[in-house]
Amino acid sequence: MKKILLLTIISSVVFAQTGLEIAQQADASKAPKDMTADLTMVLTNKSGQTRTSQIHSVTKNGGEKQIIWFLAPADDKGVSFLKIEHDDKDDEMRMWLPAFKKIRRISSKKKGDSFMGSDMSYEDMSNRELQDHTYQRLDDSTVGDSECYVIETTPKKEIKSGYSKHIAWIDKTDLVPLKEESYDKKGALRKSKTFAYTTIKDYVVPTELYVEDVQRNHHTRLVFEDIQLDTGIKDNLFHEKNLKRMPRK
Amino acid sequence: MKLQKTIQIFILSILLPLALLTAQFTYSGQVNPSGMFRLSDQSEISLPFRLMEINAGYTLGNFDIITNTAVEYRWSTGDYDADIREAYVVWYPDWGEVKLGKQIHAWGAADGNNPTDNLNPYDYYYMFLPGTDRKVATTSASVKFYWNNWQLESVFIPEHEPNRLPFGEEDFPINIAMEPENYDPVDRDYEFGFRLQTSVWESDVSFSWFSGNDRAFSLLRMNMLVDENGIPVGDMYFGFRKTDVIGMDAVSFIGDLTFRGEVAYFMTETQFTEDLFQKLPVEAEYAQYVLQAEYADPWDIQWSGQLIGNKILDTKGWVFDSTSSTKTADLTEENFHSGMGTPFAILTDLGVMLSATATVFDGRLEIQANTFADMEESGFMISGQATYSPLEGVDIECDISQFLGEEGTHFNDMEDFSHIRLGLKYSF
Repeated sequence: MKKILLLTIISSVVFAQTGLEIAQQADASKAPKDMTADLTMVLTNKSGQTRTSQIHSVTKNGGEKQIIWFLAPADDKGVSFLKIEHDDKDDEMRMWLPAFKKIRRISSKKKGDSFMGSDMSYEDMSNRELQDHTYQRLDDSTVGDSECYVIETTPKKEIKSGYSKHIAWIDKTDLVPLKEESYDKKGALRKSKTFAYTTIKDYVVPTELYVEDVQRNHHTRLVFEDIQLDTGIKDNLFHEKNLKRMPRK
Repeated sequence: MKLQKTIQIFILSILLPLALLTAQFTYSGQVNPSGMFRLSDQSEISLPFRLMEINAGYTLGNFDIITNTAVEYRWSTGDYDADIREAYVVWYPDWGEVKLGKQIHAWGAADGNNPTDNLNPYDYYYMFLPGTDRKVATTSASVKFYWNNWQLESVFIPEHEPNRLPFGEEDFPINIAMEPENYDPVDRDYEFGFRLQTSVWESDVSFSWFSGNDRAFSLLRMNMLVDENGIPVGDMYFGFRKTDVIGMDAVSFIGDLTFRGEVAYFMTETQFTEDLFQKLPVEAEYAQYVLQAEYADPWDIQWSGQLIGNKILDTKGWVFDSTSSTKTADLTEENFHSGMGTPFAILTDLGVMLSATATVFDGRLEIQANTFADMEESGFMISGQATYSPLEGVDIECDISQFLGEEGTHFNDMEDFSHIRLGLKYSF
C-alpha cells in the first residue's frame, strides 16, 4: 500500500512538472567542465552540392567559453573564432582573419547571422539563459523509441531573438533535446534540428547535430569526433592570442 | 674543438629529430593566375600580379616559425620574381607574444585605409587589394603584453623602408612624377611604436604612438640651374621626413550597427643630413581619419561604408617651384604632400567608400559592389566583383572597375585604367 502511495506521489510530481522545471532540470544535468572535439561540418544545398569544413573546437562551462579553428577547406584554413558569454553584458565574439592579420571584434547583437555559411546562427550556438525565456509544457511525445517531454520555449522580448519560439523534444531519461523546431518571427517553421548523443565518462554528449533550414531548403550536418572531456582546459586558452595559433594535433 | 663536434652531433642526432617529431607543420596557399584588360579597347594592362602564394608554419612548443612566399608574374614580359614576403619567429609566453623577423603588422580598427597603421610601407602595385596584400614586410621586433583587458604592444624597426612605387610603369593608374636618382640618408634609421588597447564595456579602444620616417619620398634639397631654354636642370636630392603619429582607434556596437573608427595626428619635419645646396625645410601637422559603419540587412547583404579624410593643419617651410625664378615657394596646404598614412590620401582629402556583399546560389557565388567617391573634386570609382566557386577550393573571379573624373582630377587620369579583371584561384 505504501509502495502504491509512493508511486502515486512520484508520478503526480513528475506529471505536475512545468516546462520551466523540466528546462531547469535539463540545465542542471551533469555536464563536463570542458570538451574538446574535432568537428566535420557538411553544408548541403538544395541541389545536393556540399561544402565540408573541418573544425577543432574547445568549449568550457557548457559552452560559455568557446574557441574554434577552421582547418579546412583551404580558403578558410586558419580562420578562428572566440566566444565568451557574459551574464552582465553582451557576449564577446572575436574572429582571427589571417588575410588581414587582425583580430576582428564582431557584434554579438546580430545573433541571427549565419555562422560561416552554415544553417546555424550565432544564436543557435549560444546557451539559452533560463531567465530570458518562458517555458510551456506541451503533451509528451516520442522521438524514435525515446519518451520525450515536449517544451515550448518563447524568448522574452528584451533579448531580441531571431525566433518567435522553439519546440523541443527532451529525452525523459537523459534530459537532453533529441529534436527541436525553431520558428521565425512570423511564426513559420524556420529550422528543424535533430541531435544524437553518446555517453562518455557518465556524461551524455552530442555526436551529431543536423540542422535543416526548411525555408532555404539547405541543411548542415555537424559530426563530433575524437571527443575528450574534462581534460583540465585552462581559462587562459580562451584568449584572443590563441586564435592566431593553429591547434596542436 | 672536440666539444664543439660533440655538441653538433648531439644536436643533429637527438635534438633535431626530436624537434621534427614533436613539431607541427602547417601550410596553405593559392595559385591565382589573372589578367587585366582595359574597358576602352580590351588591351592588356601590363602590371605584375601574385601568381602563387604559400604560407608555411612550423610549431614547436611555444614557438612558431611563419613564412609567406609569393611568386610575382607579369604576362607581357614573362618576368617572374619569387619573394619571401614574411619570415618570422613568434614566441608565445603566458604573458603575451614576441615576434622577430620580416613581418607585416596590422594596427587599427577599420577594415583597411588605416591612418594609424604606419609600421609597414605599402606596395603600390597592390594598393587596390585588401588586407595585408598591399603591405611590404619590414624586419622588426614586436612585444605584446596581455593583462586582463589590457594589451600593450611595442614595435621596433631597425631600418627604415619606403613604399614600393611603380616607377616608369605606363599602365599604372597614378602618375608618379619622377624617379629620384639621389636619396639622402634618413637622420635616424630606426623606428618604433607603442599601442595600448583596452575594452570598455562592449567597445575596444586603442591609443598608439609611432615615430618613424615617411614612407613616400620628398624633395629635400637641390642644386638648381637653368639651361638656355629656361628649363631647370640640376641635382635634386630626395629623402624621407621624420614623422611622429599619435593615433586612436575604436570599435563599438549600437543596435545592429558596428562602428569602427580611427584618427591619427601626424607631425612631420625634414631632418637634413647634408648641408650642401639649397635646402627645402618642411614642418607640418596633419590629421587623417576613417569612420566605418557596417550593417547586415535581413536579406544577408553585408553593407559597409567608410568616410576617409585628410586635413592639413599647419605648414611651415619651402617647396620647389618650377614656375618661380627663385625656384622656391612657401609651403602651403595646397602644395604640401603627406608622406605617411592611408594611401587613399593621395587621391583625395575627403572620400566616401561604400560596399555591399551578397552570397547567392547557396554560397557558390559571391557578388560585391564597391564605390569610392571623391567628395572634394568630382570623381569616383565604381566596381563590381563576382566570385563563383564551382568546386571546393576553386574560384572563378571577375571584377569590373570604372573610374570617372573631371578634367584635371586624379580620377580623370585613372579613366584609362578602367578595366575588367579575370582570374582563376585554386586554394590548397
